[in-house]
Amino acid sequence: MHNYSEFISLMGNKILSKNEKQKRLYFEVGNENIIEVADYLFTKLGCRLSTATATETYRGIEVLYHFSLDKSGEYYCPRIVMTDKKNPRMNSITPVVRGAEWIEREMSEMLGVTFEGHPRPEPLLTGNHPQNIKVPLRKWRSNG
Amino acid sequence: MDKNVIPVGPYHPLLEEAEYFTLQVDGETVVDIDLEIGWMHRGHEFISESKTFTQSLYLVERICGICSTSHPLAAVHAMEDVDNIEIPLRARYIRTLVGELERIHSHLLWLGLAGHFIGYDTLWMWAWKYREPVLQMFEIISGNRNHYGMMRVGGVAKDVDPDKIKSLLDIMDEIEKKIQMIAKAANDDPVLKSRLKGVGVLTKKDAVDFCAVGPTARASGVSVDVRKDEPTDAYDLVDFKIIVTENGDVFDKTVVRLLETFESIKICKQCLEKLKTVNGGIRNNVKEISAGEGIGRYEAPRGEVFHYVRTDGTNRPVRHKVRAPSYVNIPTFKASCKGIPVADALITLAAVDPCYCCTERSIKIRDKNNEPYQLDLMKLSREKTEQIRRQMK
Amino acid sequence: MSWYNKRLAKSIWVYHMSASPCNNCDIEILDLLTPKYDVERFGIKLVGSVRHADVILLSGVINQKVAPQVKKIYEQAAKPCFVVGVGTCPASGCCFKDSYNTVKKREDVIPIHLYIPGCPPKPEAMIEGVVKLAGVLNA
Repeated sequence: MHNYSEFISLMGNKILSKNEKQKRLYFEVGNENIIEVADYLFTKLGCRLSTATATETYRGIEVLYHFSLDKSGEYYCPRIVMTDKKNPRMNSITPVVRGAEWIEREMSEMLGVTFEGHPRPEPLLTGNHPQNIKVPLRKWRSNG
Repeated sequence: MDKNVIPVGPYHPLLEEAEYFTLQVDGETVVDIDLEIGWMHRGHEFISESKTFTQSLYLVERICGICSTSHPLAAVHAMEDVDNIEIPLRARYIRTLVGELERIHSHLLWLGLAGHFIGYDTLWMWAWKYREPVLQMFEIISGNRNHYGMMRVGGVAKDVDPDKIKSLLDIMDEIEKKIQMIAKAANDDPVLKSRLKGVGVLTKKDAVDFCAVGPTARASGVSVDVRKDEPTDAYDLVDFKIIVTENGDVFDKTVVRLLETFESIKICKQCLEKLKTVNGGIRNNVKEISAGEGIGRYEAPRGEVFHYVRTDGTNRPVRHKVRAPSYVNIPTFKASCKGIPVADALITLAAVDPCYCCTERSIKIRDKNNEPYQLDLMKLSREKTEQIRRQMK
Repeated sequence: MSWYNKRLAKSIWVYHMSASPCNNCDIEILDLLTPKYDVERFGIKLVGSVRHADVILLSGVINQKVAPQVKKIYEQAAKPCFVVGVGTCPASGCCFKDSYNTVKKREDVIPIHLYIPGCPPKPEAMIEGVVKLAGVLNA
């Protein structure tokens, strides 16, 4: 809990909104700040990127990164919301965190998010697929 | 261009995915490696959204047949994390017991297959022979050899019969003796040592950069273990060590796994002793899970399993994200396979423990005129072991 | 054909093909080879190439990406070649039948002659299944 307050005051107005739980901090950042936040978490704080989750909600497409601080078992989860559902775009953190390459490629093909600055923006799971599967995790929600 | 491309696969099943490697080689040396996955993609995250929480435990159990406790355990952790649900003490010990038994069987399985890959079939038969009592224990505890169906939100599904604890402890003692025998034999074998030492090194920096987890990271000197970092279940009540080694080669990965097996046996024995005295219910009745989000993780035999659940107050998750440990461990091939001979590639690929079922794979080498000819990667790997053995005589 | 089948039943060589399984049937198939079950005493042997195989052990619900490969491997097998579906997945699709990525009609991809249900089936059940197949071939 203590560490979070330090982190929150350091980030200042970069954090748009936050939700704090025991050992979990979910906070929203703007697209322009995500690389800076990821760089701080990964390089300075020594976090490990567990994975990232992309979800389609009523507000838009959300991408939630899960940074794990292994020393204390805490999670830092920066969230980016893209309101443009037709063509969601955000900055890629792969140049900062190398391990994010596959994770972002998968989100890109599952929910159609374009990651700007990604070194290899090609499908991971559905490459060379005989049927043309496009954004399967969005199919049923977009219809309604 | 002098570089040749070797496709490996796609018949190479992994946790959720099969993979299709393309090794770029220059003569004998691997220059670059790339992989294509998706052959095993079944769309768990999509199906899970249409299932209730209990049904989705059945589903996540079938992500992987070897980690079939880790995935449900991480999923229930995530679901419990939404509301901070407490579970009874007895259930905590049972969860830890089942999880650690799984680690023993998985590590023995890997050890056997690693032996098989380098042409040491005796090790394979030994390791798998002494894995059978572990499966027998599972049968006693849960009723099935694999896919135990033990986890529920708020506790476990089945209790361990107190009358059977003594026989379980007896089996445990026997396994320990046998594994000690295997470990000694493997450690004393000069062929095994010279075959695995210094092969496929993953440096500490690469392990951190690729966010590797589990034995793959721990063999490279990164001390990451969910059991200690965020102790859930009974892990803060039992005594065990984390095994970390520094070299990052295949030999160290073997050592880490073998020593971890002994730690697991230690934990299992403590849990069984505790189960004799700890009484009480095995499951809190959880009526509903409120709206929110939860992160659950568990240290599977291969590393951290990560589940993220987002709920809206209904009986189904809005989003259920699953990340298996191999998903972050496999990209480390890019670092560890570069610059090694082709004959060592197979064991390096196998060292992160991605796959078991594929005992045989053939590769195609294209020569300069683009004419394919068949070559057996396994045969190559075994011939190298034989060569070392002959030199030693 | 029956003359050939009788010879085939004496020593069944199997090829293991996994088409998006959960690995569990696969390790149980490998388990058959190890000392506890040791199916080699019945002349059953796991071979690496489908060209040598008399029986294909198919595990897993076939997904759309792997389906062409499965079809191709079956076509390469020397006939007669019998396909045994191991586990619930080839039989019913288990919990994956609603997915966007699985083949809806597995019979179109590969004809399955015998099913061994179970998730996963016990090694004893697998042995019984293959022995039943041998009984049919001997008839």
